[in-house]
Amino acid sequence: MPTVTVNKQPVEIKPDERINCVQAAQRVGVEIPSYCWHPALSVVASCRMCLVEVGETKPDGSVVMQPKLVPGCQTPVKDGMVVVADSPRVKAAQQATLEYLLLNHPLDCPVCDQAGECLLQDYSYRYGRGYSRLDEPKELKPDKDYIGDQITLFTDRCIMCSRCVRFTREISGTAELEIINRGSHSEIDIFPGHPCNNKLAGNVVDLCPVGALCSKDFLYKQRVWWLRPSNSVCPLCSTGCSIHVDQNEDTVYRLRPRANPQAQGHFMCDEGRFGWKYTHSESRLTTPLQRARSGSVASHDWDVVLPAVRAALVKAATSSKPLAAVLSPWMTLEEAYLLASYLKSLSPKARLAIGPVRVVGEDDRYPKGVHGQPVEPVKFTIRAEKCPNRRGVEIVLEHFEDSLVSFGDLLGSAAAGDFSALYLVGGDPGGWITEQQAAGLAKVETVIVQDILPSAASARATFVLPGGSFAERDGTFVNLAWLAQEIRRAIHGPGDARPDGRILWDLAQRRGLFSLPLLRREMADAIPQLAPLRDGLLDDHGVFVRPAAGIPQAGVAAAGVTPEIPGP
Amino acid sequence: MPVLNAELRARIQTELAKYPTKRAATLPALHIAHDALRSVPPAAIEEIAELLELHPAEVFDTMSFYGFFRDDKRPLGKHRVWVCRSISCMLRGGEDLLAQLSRRLGVAPGGTSADGKVTLEFAECLGACEGAPCLLLDDECHMNQTEQSAAAMIDKL
Amino acid sequence: MPEFEPVLLARIDKPDSTSLAGYRADGGYEALKKALAMAPDDVTAIVKDSGLRGRGGAGFPAGVKWTFLPKNHPGPIYLCVNADESEPGTFNNRILMEQDPHQLLEGIAIACHAIRSRTAYLYLRYEYGRSFRVLDKAIRECYQAGLLGKNILGTSFNLDVYLHRGAGAYICGEETGLIESLEGKRAWPRIKPPFPAVEGLFGKPTIVNNVETLCCVTHVVSRGADWFKSIGVPPNLADKRDLGSYGPKLYCISGHVNRPCCVELPLGVTARQLIDEHGGGVWKWRRAKAVVPGGISMGFLSADELDTSLDFNGPLKAGCLGLGTAGVVVIDDQTSMVDVLANCCRFFAHESCGQCTPCREGTSWMKKILDRVRAGLGRLEDLDLLQEVAGSMGIIPGTTICGLADGAAWPVKNALTKFRAEFEEYIRSGRQSISASPELMAAH
Repeated sequence: MPTVTVNKQPVEIKPDERINCVQAAQRVGVEIPSYCWHPALSVVASCRMCLVEVGETKPDGSVVMQPKLVPGCQTPVKDGMVVVADSPRVKAAQQATLEYLLLNHPLDCPVCDQAGECLLQDYSYRYGRGYSRLDEPKELKPDKDYIGDQITLFTDRCIMCSRCVRFTREISGTAELEIINRGSHSEIDIFPGHPCNNKLAGNVVDLCPVGALCSKDFLYKQRVWWLRPSNSVCPLCSTGCSIHVDQNEDTVYRLRPRANPQAQGHFMCDEGRFGWKYTHSESRLTTPLQRARSGSVASHDWDVVLPAVRAALVKAATSSKPLAAVLSPWMTLEEAYLLASYLKSLSPKARLAIGPVRVVGEDDRYPKGVHGQPVEPVKFTIRAEKCPNRRGVEIVLEHFEDSLVSFGDLLGSAAAGDFSALYLVGGDPGGWITEQQAAGLAKVETVIVQDILPSAASARATFVLPGGSFAERDGTFVNLAWLAQEIRRAIHGPGDARPDGRILWDLAQRRGLFSLPLLRREMADAIPQLAPLRDGLLDDHGVFVRPAAGIPQAGVAAAGVTPEIPGP
Repeated sequence: MPVLNAELRARIQTELAKYPTKRAATLPALHIAHDALRSVPPAAIEEIAELLELHPAEVFDTMSFYGFFRDDKRPLGKHRVWVCRSISCMLRGGEDLLAQLSRRLGVAPGGTSADGKVTLEFAECLGACEGAPCLLLDDECHMNQTEQSAAAMIDKL
Repeated sequence: MPEFEPVLLARIDKPDSTSLAGYRADGGYEALKKALAMAPDDVTAIVKDSGLRGRGGAGFPAGVKWTFLPKNHPGPIYLCVNADESEPGTFNNRILMEQDPHQLLEGIAIACHAIRSRTAYLYLRYEYGRSFRVLDKAIRECYQAGLLGKNILGTSFNLDVYLHRGAGAYICGEETGLIESLEGKRAWPRIKPPFPAVEGLFGKPTIVNNVETLCCVTHVVSRGADWFKSIGVPPNLADKRDLGSYGPKLYCISGHVNRPCCVELPLGVTARQLIDEHGGGVWKWRRAKAVVPGGISMGFLSADELDTSLDFNGPLKAGCLGLGTAGVVVIDDQTSMVDVLANCCRFFAHESCGQCTPCREGTSWMKKILDRVRAGLGRLEDLDLLQEVAGSMGIIPGTTICGLADGAAWPVKNALTKFRAEFEEYIRSGRQSISASPELMAAH
């Protein structure tokens, strides 16, 4: 195994692996500070923060060091290489670079959004000299409030790392951002009339290592050290971007992409980034509801409603007509399994269908070329399929059902009065059922709706169970590429809303508290495709649950796809 | 109505033939537009971008790097006078010459005389050090200049 | 030693020095004919044997550079002619282009044959309007005469030469900055490797050569490597890394001399000889205080160092960055080195491309410090700070991508070492430099 040495520690690399000094150092916990380098962008080696000393081991075992400092980001490591990132020369260079970067920086940390997660702050603290020797006035450059609808630029905080410009040229391909002027007059800007509003634009805020590019949505809302991040998965399309949900006191303030080479890579789209607002919608369903036959409210109390739901289902199971349920592609794997196994335990002839999978337009691939056409190699895709877990729910349904009915057929049967009870799970904030479709529910004696927002269905339901948004639940989503990733609860839901997993766990009268590991083990035993979940725990990058070759998956794949449905 | 007329476009097209990429014609195209329009307004940048199959921001990024091109906020006068202030000229009065012309024309370097005739610029080494101090009138170099000789030349424009 | 016979400037005073007819009458394009009769690698071998080192500033052996091209490369290979001459105190390329364009074009054609290039771009700084017009006419003459285009001189050799005008940026003289600029981008020098010979213009193998270098190629081919090696300073055999300083060199002499000029001399002439024998002595009967040996980025020779041999090694021994462009600028003893250094620092602050942090921030900081010193607000500690900033930037310590920062640092290092007493006296006195208009001059 090729081995390099970083600060006297050996680092093993794979024979065909091409990594730089910064990456090699990361493996042994050595941080080589850097600004301009980003693993997803081209290497420019211009910030000069990652300078290190390198040398090579000669056959006789002696080490010959290069006389010059080299940028760690630009220097690939190879067997026998020696990287020194903590010598006095390296430290002097780091100090000098930091002093330069701060020369014209306004040092306005108290009013800067980036404070607390700022690489200028971090590196100054760790590597800087702590004071500036600039006696002359700083160069002042005007702020640019409108870089895009969501982006503002504090020009004088910029350190000219050019990450943002490279992102728009290399990842989105839309090239709205530009560097203007030369030398110390350089600035980031947009061309007049061409703002940075591409669907991936928000990433430039994350990429900015300092407080120059800021998100208007987040601006001055929170100090970042008050925020608690939770690992999660963006639910808004089947790419399933790994994200952080940043919250404070049960309020989500922002989503950030979480790097995951198995999922989307390093970025996320703005649709997802800003698409969490429904979580805090005023119209969220916040109390459980049982309607009397007259339509009046019989109860708002979980302790009454849940047993009543159970009793209604048990009764319906004895009917000559089957039970039916719609499992939403917004449910987690565990929720889908809980509901499906519970209903099948009540009545093996219970009919299960997948809820509507909203498809909006076509897959949107990046980078774009100058004429807006996608260019190979594709670096990011916003999927047309606007749900997080169609694959996961399909896996569960295929396990429980020999043949699957579509959402439309199931509603048709409901309208024909074929079912004794219907359990509908929603969860799609974009809406999932029309007035017309819901009208047919009148023919079903017991309609149970579990959802987060009111809908035509919840208005007619016998029981309404307020569930949780993606930020309020624990569970597993399986994306388009069959990657199973964990969403973790970041906040409590509003009012009496409960995480869907807990609702279903309690409904099924399982013992103890909702337990992901238990459920995963159970699913792994029951469903061969989910065997990779047997550990019970998922690591941050998730695990693939690809179907075994030869097993047809098309049965459900064509099922629930419906055209766009207007939201509530 | 395009800012770049058919003749300018044709000249840009001619430049394209010299290079394997369209982008390489950026500087030639900017020169063509700048010479004719005395600035490169945003509309011209968009048109050049279209001709070269680039984003306007890419063209402007390049353009603004070179101190040479003006945008439409600061268009050039009819002529441009660059006074060299680098070392060989400075040693022989280049900075004084710049200051004198600045006073005479009533503009700071970068500015254009009120009659729109002359834009005064400072220049870094013009490569005519044997004739210091020198100045560039448009793109013709004039060596061994004094305030009087330069003023006489400007008056004749 | 035989009388030195200028070759590069031999024709410049002739009335028809720029015309093809005149050039041919003087035996022009015979070297190309000779080269085309040879295999490309044999031409490269002659140039390599001659020891010709690049005249643009770095002094890298030209023939060796050509051998870095990949062998049997199937696609295009490009020659970029670096005519972005912008180093303060340097104007030799301008004279070559304005006065004898065909000498250069012949050198380009020979070089392209040697490196198997079919396309050459001549990157000309915009300010050289006259050079542009002269070269443009000369190129058209060549196409008409079958010296450019298809089947040159009846052989299978094809070559197109295009003039590409810059737009006022010193950094375009850095070879990868030049390439980026030619490609239509901001002239940010590239990180190396890959070197241009492997991946250069439009991603293809590319050779970048200076104007004077290519003019020398013409004469190396016509007169042979031995002739070239008979001129100049042979290497010190005790130093294996010494490549010698062979051939004629154009020296530019400007600043405080009676007769600023460009002269062709064997490499190795001293600064004193240049001033006294060719520049007509220091003006106004004054004495030289300092001499820039080869463009301001090379630093300064002090009055005690005027006997430094201006070959590729001499200036190094005197603590300068190198021979550079051999643009010699003479500074008389009535001139303040504070003012001179401030001028140098302003230049580099204006010309830093802004890519690397140390250069972008350091050059403008050094300028600001010197502006403050010249405003009478200097402190002795400022000199150490200047030294520290200068010491932190460049490819020599490894903190920048290109050598502009070394060039920006060197005059500071040299001035503060060799003229420290003057700087200290200036600061202690609290005086201000007389400047036409401080704000007006401070712009960059």
